[in-house]
Amino acid sequence: MNYKLLHIFRNTPFGRETFLQSLYFCKMINAYPVVYIPKSDKFLFYFSNDAVQVDLDSSYLSSPDTARGHVEALFEEMALSPRFYEPKNFTASSLPDVSTQFDYFACPRSVSDMSSKIGLGHIGPKVRRIVKHATFPVLMTSPVFKPWKSISVFFGGSRNAMTALKAGVKIAMASGLPLDLYTLKENQGEDHYRDLVAKEEIGEYASDLLRQWHFYEKADFDAMLYDVPHNSLIVLGAYGHGVIKDILLGSKLEQIQSTVTNNLLITGPHCSVTL
Amino acid sequence: MTLIRNTYQEIIHRLFRGDDRLLLIIAGSIAGVCSGIAAVVLRLSLEAVLEWLHHFRHFWWAFALPAVGAVASSFFLNKVVKEGAGHGVPEVIYAVSRYGGLLRFRSSFSRLISSFLTIGSGGSAGPEAPVVMSGSAIGSNIAKFFHLNDRQRITLVGCGTAGAIASIFNAPIAGLVFSIEVILGEWKFVNIIPIAIAAVAGAEVSHAIIPEQVIFNHQPFETGFNDIWGSICLALFAAMISVFFTRVLRQSGKLAKRIELPLWIKAAIGGCTVGLISMGMPVVLGEGYHYIQMMISEEFSLSIFLVLVAVLAKIVATSLTLGWGGSGGIFAPCLVIGSLTGVLFHKGLMALFPGAGCASEGAYALLGMTGLISGVMQAPLTGIFLIVEITGGYEAILPLILVSSIASTLSHYIEPASFYFKELIERGQFLRPGTDARILSDLNISELIETDMITVTDNRMFRDLIDILKTTEQDVFPVIGSQSGNYEGLIQISAIRKFALDPGMYDMIFVSQVMDSTLQTASLENDIQEIIDMMNTNRVDHIPVVENDRFIGMIKKTKILDLYRQELIMQTISH
Repeated sequence: MNYKLLHIFRNTPFGRETFLQSLYFCKMINAYPVVYIPKSDKFLFYFSNDAVQVDLDSSYLSSPDTARGHVEALFEEMALSPRFYEPKNFTASSLPDVSTQFDYFACPRSVSDMSSKIGLGHIGPKVRRIVKHATFPVLMTSPVFKPWKSISVFFGGSRNAMTALKAGVKIAMASGLPLDLYTLKENQGEDHYRDLVAKEEIGEYASDLLRQWHFYEKADFDAMLYDVPHNSLIVLGAYGHGVIKDILLGSKLEQIQSTVTNNLLITGPHCSVTL
Repeated sequence: MTLIRNTYQEIIHRLFRGDDRLLLIIAGSIAGVCSGIAAVVLRLSLEAVLEWLHHFRHFWWAFALPAVGAVASSFFLNKVVKEGAGHGVPEVIYAVSRYGGLLRFRSSFSRLISSFLTIGSGGSAGPEAPVVMSGSAIGSNIAKFFHLNDRQRITLVGCGTAGAIASIFNAPIAGLVFSIEVILGEWKFVNIIPIAIAAVAGAEVSHAIIPEQVIFNHQPFETGFNDIWGSICLALFAAMISVFFTRVLRQSGKLAKRIELPLWIKAAIGGCTVGLISMGMPVVLGEGYHYIQMMISEEFSLSIFLVLVAVLAKIVATSLTLGWGGSGGIFAPCLVIGSLTGVLFHKGLMALFPGAGCASEGAYALLGMTGLISGVMQAPLTGIFLIVEITGGYEAILPLILVSSIASTLSHYIEPASFYFKELIERGQFLRPGTDARILSDLNISELIETDMITVTDNRMFRDLIDILKTTEQDVFPVIGSQSGNYEGLIQISAIRKFALDPGMYDMIFVSQVMDSTLQTASLENDIQEIIDMMNTNRVDHIPVVENDRFIGMIKKTKILDLYRQELIMQTISH
């Protein structure tokens, strides 16, 4: 496979954990990580309809002389050859444009400084904007390196959820790990969701790889989260609806990420996944 | 409910999606109004703060005021909004050239505040570039809100720019011309109408908020035959000053980059020096509109020597302000230096030929402004129309055209790139519509890759390759490692001819023995120009694309040329 994951390296112990998670993800799906060691405290992602500036704190720039060595050592540990990304274009001399031509992007739940609490908390505004505009799935790593042994896709039937299912199937195919589907029934029977998947091209692959499809009543959201194995990679769609609904009802993604410690692979509204 | 939604969608489609002219006019006027408001707010704020600080200028410590402003501006830009400093206009041009006009939302206000701090405290810079940046970012974000495509977004960036310039100078035609001449770089019918409307909207907003105030009072002036010669000589002089100003500005920035000091200290050094210069030559302070008005009205009463010193002082002060960490643009400094140049030239002319019968000093100040705008920005039409609108008539059109065209031509001859474009050209990022670089950059590498190539593994006998050759037209064969699956090399038919003509060799050699493993490979991250360069260097017509040691496909020169032609047709003929 020639899938590429972009990782922005942070030369700190916490950054090491995040990077290990990226390396593990790549190892499992036979992708290869491309590491960007930032030289300035900000960079730009130009997506098709937005320019997202990612402001990094100074810890991303700490000990640049040792950063490369640390990355290479971790690559070696995982028996992967190191690959680094160097920006070619610059909006301003201290503002590089980082390519968006990647298949995955890894980042912590929030790109914040070292004084911020490590843990679940909330998804930071920059990460949220990246997810909203990215054409690739975003791997939101768990705070501590944690291998995963199965893939759990949260499938609610929306277009975003279908993209998430595709991503989940793709990862299950590449890693050979079992795939579980979790669905909250929203005034629909189980057959409705099964039909939705069967109608899509993905249906055949999904049925071959599927270990179990768990259905829950609408009110059992917390029970569903409780049932998800702690060592599975959760794949889910995000920000499929508008701002008003987000504010009034809250975002499911926010609820999920603040409850479970699993690694999350998130597909945003502009994400496209091909098998 | 469904009926209402369907009807709404039908109306939206008919009005806006089928033909986007109406959409662009509406969105463009919004952009024009918003950028006009931004420009007026900055202008009023600057007037208020300059007026307020004027009372403190006689104190001994007043030299430090520009330093305080520059430090605050640098801190705000780099630490608060984390903009990544720059003059603004090149960044807008870069965004238009490379990313379909995508600009960050923060750019719609960040430069307004930082330039307010710099210019308000006395730094020598202009508010035009910040309002252009702001207006462009407003236009870009309006386009984002309406989910418009790249072409429509670029038009709205132009609308924002036009609205801002039109508002600040109360000059809609200059706004339109600047937007198209400098920012967009192409005169297209679909762009002109929305941008013109945005320019009018910007000017009207300015007029509605501050009806009694225009930056420069209209000054009609009369010119005669002698002024033709005067204009030609002034144009030559203005071109020299333009080149000198551009070079000092760039060298000052380069010097500041070389000095290893924190940004705020550099800004403080630049600001203090400007403050010290202003003690003897107050014309360097701020945007300098007040002094321009004095020169146009012939109330500027310095001697010829002091005017020359003022020209040099303003050039140095602007370079120290902008190169050392302050925020602002070069438009207003160009106008000040231009009017000083005109005054200096007129005084010199009168000293040499007292009975020459030339137009007034104010007229030459205006002509000097045109010369500097045309020379530094290499935007002759902007120079002409700005002065035409300021003077409120076409009486002086002939000398204006002369000064503008000669100054821009001569400047271009000495310094081929304008100040705005120079940095982009050096970085290889100046991609104007219809240019070779732009067409190549618009080609997508993934469209060029031929992935259905027949590959051979390195452990196959040469006979196997001959058998494959009989069944295909393909003339190059990528070789893949039988164990690793990695790309190992390439077999070109031209290189194996001698083996192919000797059947005795068919079962004696392996494919790996005849492949070329030294040929350079490309990756998906290479751009088209790099791939063409690789082909030329290696004298080949095809380059294998390899990612993570795996063969992805082949790029052929013929395919590049085909797609290039298609893109060329699309960019140059379709509009």
